[in-house]
Amino acid sequence: MNDYIDLDALWRVMVASLVAGAGLAAVFSLALVGLSSGRPAGKVGAAACFLVVAAGIVLGLYVMLAK
Amino acid sequence: MDANTVLLAVVIVTALSFDFTNGFHDTANAMATSIATGALRPKVAVALSAVLNFAGAFLSLKVAATIATGIVDTGAITLTVVFAGLVGGLAWNLLTWYFGIPSSSSHALIGGVVGATLIAAGASAVKGAAVVSKVLVPAVLAPLAAILVATAGTYLVYALTKNVPEGTRGRGFRFGQIGSASLVSLAHGTNDAQKTMGIITLAMIANGTIGKDQGTPFWVIAACAIAISLGTYLGGWRVIRTLGKGLTEIETPQGFAAESSSAAVIFASSHFGFPLSTTHVCTGSVIGSGLGKRLAEVRWSVAARMVAAWLITLPAAAAVGAVAWAGANGIGGATGVSIVFVIGLLLAGALYMASRRKPVHAGNVNDEWTGRPAKVKESVA
Repeated sequence: MNDYIDLDALWRVMVASLVAGAGLAAVFSLALVGLSSGRPAGKVGAAACFLVVAAGIVLGLYVMLAK
Repeated sequence: MDANTVLLAVVIVTALSFDFTNGFHDTANAMATSIATGALRPKVAVALSAVLNFAGAFLSLKVAATIATGIVDTGAITLTVVFAGLVGGLAWNLLTWYFGIPSSSSHALIGGVVGATLIAAGASAVKGAAVVSKVLVPAVLAPLAAILVATAGTYLVYALTKNVPEGTRGRGFRFGQIGSASLVSLAHGTNDAQKTMGIITLAMIANGTIGKDQGTPFWVIAACAIAISLGTYLGGWRVIRTLGKGLTEIETPQGFAAESSSAAVIFASSHFGFPLSTTHVCTGSVIGSGLGKRLAEVRWSVAARMVAAWLITLPAAAAVGAVAWAGANGIGGATGVSIVFVIGLLLAGALYMASRRKPVHAGNVNDEWTGRPAKVKESVA
């Protein structure tokens, strides 16, 4: 542990924000790919992706507010 | 009304003014990209952000004790120090707004309090190590973390949707961008309105108006929520312009990636207790969204100006805080604080008048970037 940088908190922040920020953005993009494919499977996949994004947002709001 | 009540009243009004400038300074964080990409009309964007800031302020279950705890000795904090700190933060907020530079309101406030404490109680009352670990180091790391996340996000977003038809893509990301920007607004209301609530509560406890263990009175929460959302609705158009148009040209997918990154980094840092400034995170995200898209241009000269402003935020606000304390303390009591308050008001008014000469507003916020927040010569009707 460093006195000036809380490395422990820092790497958690980095991992969490990469997963939530870049990861969920990618999942959202996949949903758009699914939607535009025109096939029923694509629509189902898109719906699943949107659900994942929504769940991520709810989880994010929950952990931020329930301090 | 005795002198103490007057003093407390002036401090509360100053705190609410700070909250107000915090709102309009930071509208850009959430909404600059949505405005720049046209996902939302400017007025709609600021209205949405204002409503969410208002809601966010009420969502905070536990008011953060105080912003300055851990950075200066609690024993050194008097009403006059709190007042001078607020004046320092306010001055820096207004000045950076005038130059259209997104800068951290929290850092400005911390700077003001540190400056006032330095002159009021001496260097020993300021915890140097805490200033480094809680303010300076995060100021460097916040934009870097956000740049990394936003670059990765932008790259993925473009790579994955390469073959998606423009219609679906545009509509989808427009929707996503509004959603993620809304989260940033909500988080801003929760985190930033809390700081002012904490300060007002602290001032009331210091004055003996409420007991130490009493919670924040409801009217304080309501007043802070109203102040920050009014400020947000007014819109710091100068800062919005710099962030939305100045740093890089933003398309909808980039705006979406940037706001997702900002929301994620802010949520994560607030959860894991790593104090990152919303402003630094959002600026980093916008830069990252420029880096992640191939051939997009990032105007590093604009970014450099911002970083320079961030570096002098602390000393500059500290200097104003120190001068404000010396002035208020030299004259003494409620009279001193009131006089400094009026002087501050006059200076703020002068700056506002100066800004009217080259105004930035909802109508011209998206004009082509010419190197300055406000258009210099070519007067467009």
